[in-house]
Amino acid sequence: MSNRFVEQGLRSPVNLTWEVSLLCNLRCSHCLSASGEAAKDELTTAEALALVEEVHQAGVFQINFGGGEPFMRPDFEQILDACHQRGIMTCISTNGTLLDAARVARLSQTRLVAIQVSLDGATSSTCDAVRGSGVFARATEAVKLLAASSIPTSINTVLTTHNASEIPAMYELAQSLGVSLRVSRFRPSGRGADNWEDLRPTPSQLLEFSDWLAKSGDVRTGDSFFSLTSQERQGLGLNLCGAAKLTCCVGPTGNMYPCAFLQTDRFLAGSLRDQSFQQIWDSSEIYESFRSLRIHSCEECTRFDQCHGGCPAVAWHLKNDLSGGDPECLERCVTSIADAAKAAA
Amino acid sequence: MAAAGIQLHPACRVRQEGFGLLFYDSRGPRLLFAETGSLLPPDFFAVARSRDELPPGLNVRQEEVLRNFMTKLLERGFLREQPLC
Repeated sequence: MSNRFVEQGLRSPVNLTWEVSLLCNLRCSHCLSASGEAAKDELTTAEALALVEEVHQAGVFQINFGGGEPFMRPDFEQILDACHQRGIMTCISTNGTLLDAARVARLSQTRLVAIQVSLDGATSSTCDAVRGSGVFARATEAVKLLAASSIPTSINTVLTTHNASEIPAMYELAQSLGVSLRVSRFRPSGRGADNWEDLRPTPSQLLEFSDWLAKSGDVRTGDSFFSLTSQERQGLGLNLCGAAKLTCCVGPTGNMYPCAFLQTDRFLAGSLRDQSFQQIWDSSEIYESFRSLRIHSCEECTRFDQCHGGCPAVAWHLKNDLSGGDPECLERCVTSIADAAKAAA
Repeated sequence: MAAAGIQLHPACRVRQEGFGLLFYDSRGPRLLFAETGSLLPPDFFAVARSRDELPPGLNVRQEEVLRNFMTKLLERGFLREQPLC
């Protein structure tokens, strides 16, 4: 990817993560936004539809819907329709429990939607330990319904220490169901921060996953693992953080942030109730600070061109330092394992 | 037999940026940054066109560059061939 054009600044994001509601019928222990109850004063239907039009005018290609569980919003399909009528592509991240044949049939009417169903293990015991009792079976049924439809579907798995050894089996499960596999990075935000030490993959697991990923070109990462990208996957994804450059996040109440993992007051770029989407994208100081962020401490690293310092959100949550470099990048995993081996010797 | 034309692939989108055109392919997803300036408006791709068609007012050199560019877009799957009628 050409960073030169990205660094010049794009007139709008390529895609947008929109957390349409915090309301969720599950309480997953790694949830990045600690979803459960709806946020106070979430965007009304009229406000949400107005935002779709603003995003269309801005030229955004795709909206990635998340939450909360998006289908908990009674008007969610109305919001989707508004996107599709304008030619905006959509991708829905769902827990799958609210998908039935009728809903899948309705969603199949457009060719502009893709769906990711969350499954966090290849077995019900691994998955349900994170997502709740019975969720594996319900989500798998949803995947089967989707696989039989025309909707591009993937299983989305958040890599944790508990499911790391099951990732190849997750791949086989996805293949057996006729869908693709997407693996996402676990980050210490929301309930993920509360359960970080229990769920975080070890450096060895991250390295093993990186090796496996290198041999699995058809597995998507979205690209949350660019900090682990091996030579074999160069060109398949990003080589830098896209927050405020290629993408941004809208929260349930219309607040805009650099990314879904930085939805705090410290990183508030603006409110859509006070300013337009385009105004916030063009003039937010927070966004400008991300566009000019340089991870100088990583510049001497041999992998700098491959990740440019990795994920600032993880650096922030773990070290309280946006410019400190990703604490879980490939290089630091290798160093950490070597240090542990030395200490043991 | 219908003549073959080219059109933006349904999984792709294009928009104008300062440097030229930004193409997006949702199947990757992947991006293509094309330093075309204002030579080629994004709505040029909104309808099926014949393989040789280009916007009016270009000089010979610009036409050659854009023809090569169209071929590249076709090879990379951002454009697809389809009958014109």
